[in-house]
Amino acid sequence: MAKTWVGRVRSWMAKNMDLPQDVMMDLPRITMIGQIHIYIENHRGLLSFSDKELRLLLKQGQLLIKGKSFVIKTILPEEILLEGKIDQVIYINENSGGTK
Amino acid sequence: MKNQWIIFLYGRVTVKISGRGIERLLNVLTRNGIDIWNVKRHGADTITLKIKLADVMKIRHLARKSGCRISFLERSGAPFLLKRMVKNSGFLIGAAMFIVIVFLLSNVIWGIEIKGAKPATEYQIRQELDKMGVKIGKFQFSVDNAEGIQRKLSNNVNQLTWVGVELKGTTYHLQVVEKNEPKQPKKLKPRNLVAKKKAVIVRMDIDDGQKKVDVHDYVEPGQLLVSGEIGQEGEETKLVAAKGEVWGETWYKSHVELPIKTTFHSYNGKEKRKYYILIGGLKIPVWGFGKHGFKEYKTEKNVHKLHFLKWELPLSYMDKTIREQEALIRTYTNKEAEKKALELAKKNIKKLVAEDAIIKDEKILHKVIKNGKVILDIHFKMIENIAVGKPITKEIHE
Repeated sequence: MAKTWVGRVRSWMAKNMDLPQDVMMDLPRITMIGQIHIYIENHRGLLSFSDKELRLLLKQGQLLIKGKSFVIKTILPEEILLEGKIDQVIYINENSGGTK
Repeated sequence: MKNQWIIFLYGRVTVKISGRGIERLLNVLTRNGIDIWNVKRHGADTITLKIKLADVMKIRHLARKSGCRISFLERSGAPFLLKRMVKNSGFLIGAAMFIVIVFLLSNVIWGIEIKGAKPATEYQIRQELDKMGVKIGKFQFSVDNAEGIQRKLSNNVNQLTWVGVELKGTTYHLQVVEKNEPKQPKKLKPRNLVAKKKAVIVRMDIDDGQKKVDVHDYVEPGQLLVSGEIGQEGEETKLVAAKGEVWGETWYKSHVELPIKTTFHSYNGKEKRKYYILIGGLKIPVWGFGKHGFKEYKTEKNVHKLHFLKWELPLSYMDKTIREQEALIRTYTNKEAEKKALELAKKNIKKLVAEDAIIKDEKILHKVIKNGKVILDIHFKMIENIAVGKPITKEIHE
């Protein structure tokens, strides 16, 4: 994870200074309310959207959400609120070979 | 997402986007600060989403570059509602007009009912009402209120003893009591005529009964004047109702005091009218602003309740008339004062006796002028009917 020197410092700071990881390391913060709502902060853009699948670009890798009858309730540059029936939330890492 | 209602005020548009690379366009839109919500996918290359009305021009501009086709489906929110309202304003105007017309018609006089008056008096009352402007079809607030009508009617129509004016809905109900109600001829019971005052008899007009006193006789109150028992002495007597008039000379003493100087207030014709609408206790001036600047004045208020259909609204309409007064000082000379005092005394005496009594003679007994007053003691000789009926009871007969 911490490939660079900056990354190593950030990781150390987060661990030892009790700072939230998402702020320090630019990670997505995902909030789910049961199966019906998912709220993702800190994404890097929409890759694909259909009523069964939502694919988001992250700083590192992608996030894939699968389910049924999806509706994007709100979309802002770094936030998205999705409504529907969520079945799976999957992280896809670039090197492990994503579908796209 | 922002507050639903604020967006409702701005107006919102449903946009249909179709083509390739829709997701890319969505990213571009969000980065350009366009609020997007309710994104739904319809088939392979179509989505719908909602945006604010203000962003429509921006989305067009951005979509042109992306190669997606956009079309606008549904418009909702306040701006469109307003547009439709303007288009259909006829309905709105109609509804408003309806309420206004109903309100106006609720305040129109639709009927005047007069009860208890003879046709002749009723005609006179109707004419008097016409003169006051109380007519069918007039607005209630353009005429006096019920108390004012009542006062004016009883002042101006002589035949009335009392008139009650009541406004029920849109109809004025007038209850009239006339001075000379048609009398039922009543059957008189046997009676005598007795004197009601001490007097000297001047004239006797007897229709029925037997005279017991004569002209120039002095009678005491309660003394028998005409007997209801007729018939020769010794024979069977018959009882009748004694009828007739016995005119006697009576005496009255009157004491009058009349100030020589009197202050009067009279209107000099200058007036200012003010109009208000009353809501509960709140007074909102409608017309007639500014101060009147009168030194001495009298204010007359006239409040009209406003109605809607049969209900009384908490609104009323008030007109206020402020009239300037001037004080007048009337000064009599001693002679004038004496004359006036005498007239006053006569008037007072007339009140004490029946209407058909005549003043035969007056004599000033005592005259003083002191403390700016004329004080008179006057002795009056009156000629009046002193006979009153007294029923004959069985006990007296036996």
